[in-house]
Amino acid sequence: MKQQECVALLLAGGQGSRLGGLTRNRAKPAVSFCGKYRIIDFSLSNCTNSNINTVGILIQYKPFLLNSYIGLGSAWDLDNPFSGVHILPPFLGDSEGSWYNGTANAVYQNYEFIDFYNPKYVIILSGDHVYKMDYNLRLKFHKEKNSEITLATIEVPWEEASRFGILTVDGAARITKFTEKPAQPDSNLASMGVYIFNWSILKQALIEDNGDYQSENDFGKNIIPQQLIQAKRVYAYNFHGYWRDVGTIESYYHANMESLKEGHFLNIFDPKFRIFSNEDILPPHFVGSAGEIENSLICNGCIVHGKVTNSILAPGVYVGEEVEITDSILLPYVKIHKKSIVHKAIVGENAEIMSHCKVGTAGKIVPNQEGITVIEDNHSIPMGSVIEAGENVYRNR
Amino acid sequence: MSNAIGIIFANSGSDSLQGLALERPIAAVPFGGRYRILDFALSSMVNSGIRTIGLVTPHQYRPLLDHLGAGKDWFLDRKDGGLFILPGVMHGLSGDNHTFCIKNLQHNLEYLQKDFVENVVISSGNQIFNINFMESLEFHKDKHADVTLIYKDIDNFGDLNDEMFLMLDENQKVSKIRNKQGLEKPMPILPHFVNMLIIRRELLLDIVEKYSSIGCIDLMTILTTNLEILEIYGSPTHSTIGTIRTVKDYLDRSMSLLALEVREKLWLGMDRIHTKIMDNPPTQYTTHAKVSNSLIASGCSIAGEVKNSIIFRGVILEQGCKIENSIIMSKCHIHANAQTNYAILDKSVKVHGENVLKGSLNNPLVVLKRTVL
Repeated sequence: MKQQECVALLLAGGQGSRLGGLTRNRAKPAVSFCGKYRIIDFSLSNCTNSNINTVGILIQYKPFLLNSYIGLGSAWDLDNPFSGVHILPPFLGDSEGSWYNGTANAVYQNYEFIDFYNPKYVIILSGDHVYKMDYNLRLKFHKEKNSEITLATIEVPWEEASRFGILTVDGAARITKFTEKPAQPDSNLASMGVYIFNWSILKQALIEDNGDYQSENDFGKNIIPQQLIQAKRVYAYNFHGYWRDVGTIESYYHANMESLKEGHFLNIFDPKFRIFSNEDILPPHFVGSAGEIENSLICNGCIVHGKVTNSILAPGVYVGEEVEITDSILLPYVKIHKKSIVHKAIVGENAEIMSHCKVGTAGKIVPNQEGITVIEDNHSIPMGSVIEAGENVYRNR
Repeated sequence: MSNAIGIIFANSGSDSLQGLALERPIAAVPFGGRYRILDFALSSMVNSGIRTIGLVTPHQYRPLLDHLGAGKDWFLDRKDGGLFILPGVMHGLSGDNHTFCIKNLQHNLEYLQKDFVENVVISSGNQIFNINFMESLEFHKDKHADVTLIYKDIDNFGDLNDEMFLMLDENQKVSKIRNKQGLEKPMPILPHFVNMLIIRRELLLDIVEKYSSIGCIDLMTILTTNLEILEIYGSPTHSTIGTIRTVKDYLDRSMSLLALEVREKLWLGMDRIHTKIMDNPPTQYTTHAKVSNSLIASGCSIAGEVKNSIIFRGVILEQGCKIENSIIMSKCHIHANAQTNYAILDKSVKVHGENVLKGSLNNPLVVLKRTVL
């Protein structure tokens, strides 16, 4: 019997264009995070740790690297004979089929997948959030409240509340009002974009939404407000913990850098709730005689001959002699050659910075994106280049 | 895919490893930051396209099986072939003299009988190397050999004791197999047998059957006696780093990893060395960390001073501790201001503050697993 109590759907199809050079060649969930992880590791590991073994991953934008990373899901112990990971790209049928047009549309197009497992509950996850959450606790809450839809919420600072979708709840945590980016927020509970639906309710909602030509087919903008109007039992599950949307260069940079702080809130070191990843098998990292490393995270396969301060080195990074790296994130297999200086930069995967370069030098008085320089994947910066802080450096094509 | 299956003799033990091999065979001794010695033989075979590998285990096989599981990390959890455990016959660990004891095969004869392949690649499990056996298998086929012995040209006999040397004719055919005792001292470069060989499966079955009445006899002894009637050839390799028999060997082989040319041969080529994956987080350096010329695995937290050392996974080095010329195995915890020099700390050792552990290059200090100092 294939029936599952709960099926998770991971929305991983968005382009993530605000991450600039980092998502030009790959979907956002496949972007490297915190050295050895990729963003999708967190959602997939949450599923594993919550015993949710059926995961559909909705993909659309530049899927190859994401697909090959996920594989059969065995890196997350999701290669289960009765369920497991399913990659769900857009597809054609006899008469229907199109690209995914909005998050709700993507799920609507895959209703056959969900029906195949005929679950009681469907969890909608976003592939670009970084957090640790036991979905079972949420599911328990959902059942206890006899809820039809449960939104995960998080308290945000009042002054920032107007940037989020804000929920107003009554004493029993039932949602009474949902406002997208209110000017005068009357609550500081923000929606995390993570939902639990009763499948019967979701199915009905998706069919209605699909028939509405005004709709943008988005969960946050259309489905949830519509269900509130219909007076469905919608509850808020308040999440206390670390949660970051890493959708912009600035938020991506800060979320990475936070992991250098001692007693890091997310605590990726916690062995009781492990984050799994599909890593390359590389030897231990090597620190040369002249290597100096301070307050940094270093992954396997790195070779460090220079000076690294307040930085994150993903697997397989090479740092040449007399190189200085400060406040930077070097993604997998980056090579920095002799006497180059890299300051406050995110260097994309496989990128190479030749010798005597200066990346992130002071330029404009008020630089873009807080002065974070971003270099695209696979780019090669020629010898002696000088790149100003806050620049986005793209490959020529 | 190669037309061969593999057998690794992972059952050799040693009394000269000062406790590193007390509760485990040499094959299961941790090595190089994140590996066990067995990984090198296993990965070499897998990288050569061999997908059926039998592992002769010793009496104390828990550490081996803990490491191997179903062989998934070596892509050996397969429908067709995969990893086979061949329980060794001797209780306790077999002596050094019997590297390839025939009795071990006799008790696991089915493993050899039920496959259809032409050849068997046999290797010992106590060596550090990264060899692609494809070349030797080609050689073996071209020569229509019964047996191909893999050798390395070597001119330094210093630390080689009871090892075997080959005499080859111009066709690479082996004319003599002899050990070091028979050698006159100053010798030119000689092919040194590295305890790896390819043998026809049918021939191996014959041998096992014929010699079944004799208690424990080494395959190499049988081959040496029958040198005249068998087609035995020698095929060269360049990618072995060395055997591990004593603590000195262990320290030397480990420290040689700090040299780039050794790491290039072993780790940085096309063929990777696979090992059990732990999903450890990256290693964290604090502002007080001072590390030079060292190999450091993942999941460590480093606040002390490290020089010319190898640090395994999940080690915690507190501020002010000083690690020099040492090997610190996984999950060790070195407290503030402790010092080690020429020390090998087995897994999960705790060294409290102000302790000084000091060995020497020729006689490194070994601290047993889970010791608290």
